[in-house]
Parts: sequence; C-alpha cells; structure tokens
Amino acid sequence: MNLFQAEEHARRWPAFNPKSEQGFISLVDLAGFFGTESRRHMLDGNYLSTWYPRRGVERREYFERIGKTTPFWLGTPDPEEKS
Amino acid sequence: MPDQALMDRMFTRIMRGLVDSGTAPHYAELARALGLSVEDGRRLLHDVMQAYPIGWLHPETDYIASFPPLNSLPTQYRVTVRGEQRWFAQCGFEATSVTWLFPGETIRIDAPCLDCGDPLALEMRDGAITWVDPPGIVGHLNYGFGASRGRNWFL
Repeated sequence: MNLFQAEEHARRWPAFNPKSEQGFISLVDLAGFFGTESRRHMLDGNYLSTWYPRRGVERREYFERIGKTTPFWLGTPDPEEKS
Repeated sequence: MPDQALMDRMFTRIMRGLVDSGTAPHYAELARALGLSVEDGRRLLHDVMQAYPIGWLHPETDYIASFPPLNSLPTQYRVTVRGEQRWFAQCGFEATSVTWLFPGETIRIDAPCLDCGDPLALEMRDGAITWVDPPGIVGHLNYGFGASRGRNWFL
C-alpha cells in the first residue's frame, strides 16, 4: 500500500502487480478511508475492545460509498480466483 | 482467556509510547507499567498482537515491528511533527491516518516514489489534507485486501 507520484509511476514499479490495475485510489479518498469514526479514537483507552472491531463495517460502507465494491477492495472471495 | 481491560491498557501504552517517542516499548517495560511479571507482559503482548493482526512482531522475536498506523521498524514513510522527524508510518495508506494521533497538529509525510525516487510530500491536520507535492500523488494497493490474496498485504 504505497504512494506514487502518479499512476504511470506505479505501473513502472518493478514490483507492480498486473492484477492491481483496479488498485488505485486518490489521496482524498484515501484520507477519507483512514478518517472514519473509529480512526479518531486510536488513543482512547478502549480502542482495542470497542473501536477497532468497528473498522470492518466502516471500511465496507466507505468503499461502497466511493464505488470500490470489488472483492479486491472489500477483501471478499473473488469468484475468478482459483483456490 | 485474556483480560480485555488489561489488553486495552497495554494497547494504549504501546500506541502512546509510539506517539511519544517514535518507537514501540519492549514487553518488559509494558509489564512494569501494568504491574505484571515480565513473562505475563510478554504473553499479554502476544494476545494484543493477535487481537490487532494488522500489526506484527518482528519474526522470531517479541519485538513490536509494526503497530499501525505507526511502525517501530523504519519504512520509507517518514512522519514529521513540530519540526521533528521521529516517526514512521506502516505504509502509504496508514500514513494518512497518523494525523489522528496528533490532534491539532500539522503532520508531514515524506516518502520517495518507488518508481523514480523523487520526493513525495503531504501535510495533514485533523484528518484534512492541507498540502500535497506533487499534486498528483496517488495511492496504490498492489494486492487486494483479504488474507486469501496470499501476499504481503501491506505492499
């Protein structure tokens, strides 16, 4: 999960995964993804027990809001991938 | 069954330790702070890391390497606060959430582009991006989320 100067720079990266064409995200969307409610409580005394478990739902809701609904982003099984 | 309240306390100690110094505390230090024996502290650390699997211990050790959004092991994502570059983010994505550990402060993230090595920089304050250079910086997820992807998900 890296930052690049632009998309073409990521594609030129020797470790670029050809299957990751859908893996680009704007900086604004990234900041939004990492700015959901639970993230604002990382210094709270009950973060691990109370806030961290909420991140999965937040993540899914956020990705759906910005249109990233593929298994690649949601972390769900990909029917096109063989096990 | 690990004591949840104690796990919360250890988690907070680790996170606060990273915020205060840029490096994660050792389990013996955590044990003393929590009133535990050293060995109980080590065991509790493993329980905490199991409950927070997006972080990890350095392989074959009990040293905290990564405790996102920050990393005790240096990465290319350098974080500067109040003019001091003391912190590292776990990855480029987590770098954008470091802002929440320093409320009311401007944080700066510097990293080289992995293609050309040119510097990338951004500043954030309370979750908002306040400055980016160059303006076209993008995030890239090289392997999809989910354990089934079978590769280091942080790459």
